[in-house]
Formats: sequence, structure tokens, C-alpha cells
Amino acid sequence: MRILGLDGVTFWYPATANPALENVSLDVGPGEIVALVGRGGAGASTLLLIAAGLAPRVTGGRLAGSVSRGARAGIVLPTPWTQVSGMAFTVWDEVAFGAANLGWPGHEITRHVDRALERLEIAPLASRDPATLSGGELQRVIIAGILAMDPDLVVLDEPTAELDHEGTRAVWRLVRSLAAEGKAVLLATSDVDALPDIADRIAWLEQGSVRALGEPSLLAEDAMCEAGLGTTVARLWRAAGLGAPYPLTVVDAVQRWR
Amino acid sequence: MSALHPFSLLAIAAALPAFAWILPAPAGGLATTLIAMGLTLTPGASPGSTGAGSTPGWRPGLVTFRTALVIAAPFWLFLRLLHDGPTTVAMGLRITTMVASCVWLVAVLSPDRLVEAMVARGWSLAVAYLFGATLSAVPVLKARARRIVEAQRCRGLSPRGSVANRLRALRALALPLVLSSLHEVDERTLALETRGLGMGVRRTPLAAPIDRTAERVARWTLLLLCLAALIRRLA
Repeated sequence: MRILGLDGVTFWYPATANPALENVSLDVGPGEIVALVGRGGAGASTLLLIAAGLAPRVTGGRLAGSVSRGARAGIVLPTPWTQVSGMAFTVWDEVAFGAANLGWPGHEITRHVDRALERLEIAPLASRDPATLSGGELQRVIIAGILAMDPDLVVLDEPTAELDHEGTRAVWRLVRSLAAEGKAVLLATSDVDALPDIADRIAWLEQGSVRALGEPSLLAEDAMCEAGLGTTVARLWRAAGLGAPYPLTVVDAVQRWR
Repeated sequence: MSALHPFSLLAIAAALPAFAWILPAPAGGLATTLIAMGLTLTPGASPGSTGAGSTPGWRPGLVTFRTALVIAAPFWLFLRLLHDGPTTVAMGLRITTMVASCVWLVAVLSPDRLVEAMVARGWSLAVAYLFGATLSAVPVLKARARRIVEAQRCRGLSPRGSVANRLRALRALALPLVLSSLHEVDERTLALETRGLGMGVRRTPLAAPIDRTAERVARWTLLLLCLAALIRRLA
């Protein structure tokens, strides 16, 4: 069973000759976390927009190949201030915006919104004006807004870009708990050091194509380290001229030293 | 004032310019201008117009009053250049009524309350959002322009001083303001789409504003008065 399936997907943005994605195939199952890594312009954000059903439906452009989505998807984009509805003067209303658009009964909306606020640890902000929040707080509000809609496929584009260390850890904990509930998570992040503890699979994107797909140990392979996409520990190990296979995490490195 | 039902606020803002054009000049225009300018003094810490940290009392009203005056002033200037005295007064008062009504409406009408009211009345969310977003565009653009000016100040560009200086600063402000707004439209479209704006499902009103019988009666009365005045004027 899969929640998202991309088979040989190629995508062109409007008025462009070169595809932003080329022949990409990827499955995401329930309870699975798949992380996309790659340099800027590799196509990760485009892939996420396709996964969320926004490309080409909203962005325009042309798509070849097939996309199957067995459930409702919700996407969190990297810049929080462009994602606020502008129609809410409290954080609670902002989080409830999407849930209300689904036409759910009021008590159902309240239950989902309160739970989302708790999960993102922003319940104390519920009565604040979103315009007065910091970037990190706002990012958590946006994530809560998506979770309040109870999507089965959660798509996250650089979800920790605006967050401090604590906020980052809270989001990664949340991602794991979403997967434990059976939700599928597809994310793009440059925080590769977090991925060994978070992701079930890694997809390495390069120039719009999937160059490698595998377990998080991929992040310690020579080619990824050379591309600057390996974990810090693996890259340091390699830079120090120590032998392969490179350790993935600090714990791995400590074990190797012993 | 901002506690009134959004439709009542819209009705007042629409009725005043209508009366200004229907009633005989200059007395009709003078009366509506006085009412509209008086209304601009009423906003007291409306969240839609002043944002967080606003001080209740007269200050928000004075800001709205001054804004209406500043917007209306150039119209008077151009009218004076094009027309004789009586026409300038007649047209100027009507235009001032329109300007003051619009400025007052933006100051007192919270976009979220308007959207809630429209959705509760059975309008589609997309249409309601279009109205709400238009109303909230002014404070959003003001806030962005302020951020751009602050950023440019940090890089040594001062928006103060001579006219030439101010024009240079305006040019430097306009391009990033337009480009960033266009960029934001793209991203906001994606964000709203993923949050169900285009789903075609009837939105659940979260806190629909109360529409009192007295307000409904007042709105109908305003409409009937407008029609009566128009018929009398045409007769």
C-alpha cells in the first residue's frame, strides 16, 4: 500500500524548455518518512509541490508520467510569513483557517486545532496576533495549521529553516510521532545531520533526477560526502583522510574509535 | 463602530457617497462630507487598521482623519485647475465623501469578520476572501514598505531631506515593493490552496458576527432612503 506514488514523472514549469524534474519515481507508504536532499535547484521543492497536488494544478506547467495520491496532502512551505491567511487576528483562528475550509463541524475543528497547538507546543500563543510572532513561532503556527487539517500525507519543505535549536528538535520529534500514527511524511531539508534519526529513506536529487535512493546510511557514502550532502561526521571523517566506510553519526564515530 | 456587523459598515460606507452624488450640491455634499469625516475620527484601536500595540482613544481616529485629508487634497487641487469655484466645491465635497468613507471602512472593518459574515450568509469562500484580502492589502503593503525602508536606511539610503532625495528613496522603494508583492502572491496562492481555499466545500464559520434585527432594519432603511432620494432627484 502506498499513499504517494510517482512513476516516471517529468515536470516543466510554464515557458521553460528544460524540465525541473526528469523521470522521477518514488513511493511513500503510510508511516514512512522519506527525506529529499540535494543542492539548491535540484528539484526538491518542485517534487514536493507535485506530491502535494499543487503542481501543475496551481503552478501551471506540464507533467508527464503518473502521480497517484491515495489521501489528502498538506504542505508547509519554507517561508512562514507568506503562508499566513491574513484573515485571522489570533493564532487559534489562523490554525483553524484550513480546518474550517474543510467544512467540518465546529467541535471537530476545535478538537483538531487544540491538539495541533499542543503538539507544536504553541498553546500559550493561541490568543496572540500572528503579526506579532517571531519567524520561528510563525513557522510552528503554519505547521499546526496543516496538522489541524489532519492530512494523511504531510509534505514539509525546509520545515526547520526558521527555527532555533529547540524548535528544530520539537519539529523532528513531531515528524516521528506523525509517522508513528501512520501518516506518510515527505520532506526536504538541508539539516542532513538530523536525518539519520528521522528518515526511513533518503532520496538524493541532482539536477531534477533521483541520483540515489536508499537508507539513511547513504548520507555517509563517499559520493554524497563529496557533493557536500553527507552528515557532518561523515564529511569530517573523510576530510581527515580516515578510511571508509565513514560513520554516519557521532555515536557511530565513537564506536569506530573504540 | 467596529462592533457593528460588517454588512452594516459596508452599507454606511456605500450610502454616504451615494447620498453625496444624489443630493443637491453643495449642501448635500457638505452634509455627507461632514458625516464621513466625522466617522474617520471614530476608529479606536481597530485591529485591521492599527495592528498590535495600538493605543485606544483618539489617536487611531486622528490618523484615519489625516489619511482621508491627505488623499482627498490632490483631488481638490486638480478640480480647481479644471473647473470654476462652484463646480470645484460640489465635486470636491463628493469626492471627499467617497475618500473618507473608503478610508473609514478600511480602518474599522476587520477582513476576517467580513469573510466570516459573508461565509455565514452563504457566499463562497473564494469570493469572500477576495473582498477580505482587498481590505487587508493596505496594512500589509504599509508594513512591507516600512521593512524595505528600514533595510535601505541600514544601507545608507535616507528617505528624508530634499525633494530629490525623497524621489530617489521612492524609486528605490517601489521596485522591491512590487517585486516582493508579486513573489508573495505566488507563494500565498500555494499556501491558501493547500489550506482548502479552492476546495469548493462550504466553510464552517468560526465566529460569525451577530447580525441584530436593528442593524438589518437600518441597512434596509438606508437603501430605501437612497432609492427615494434618487427618485426625487430624477423626478
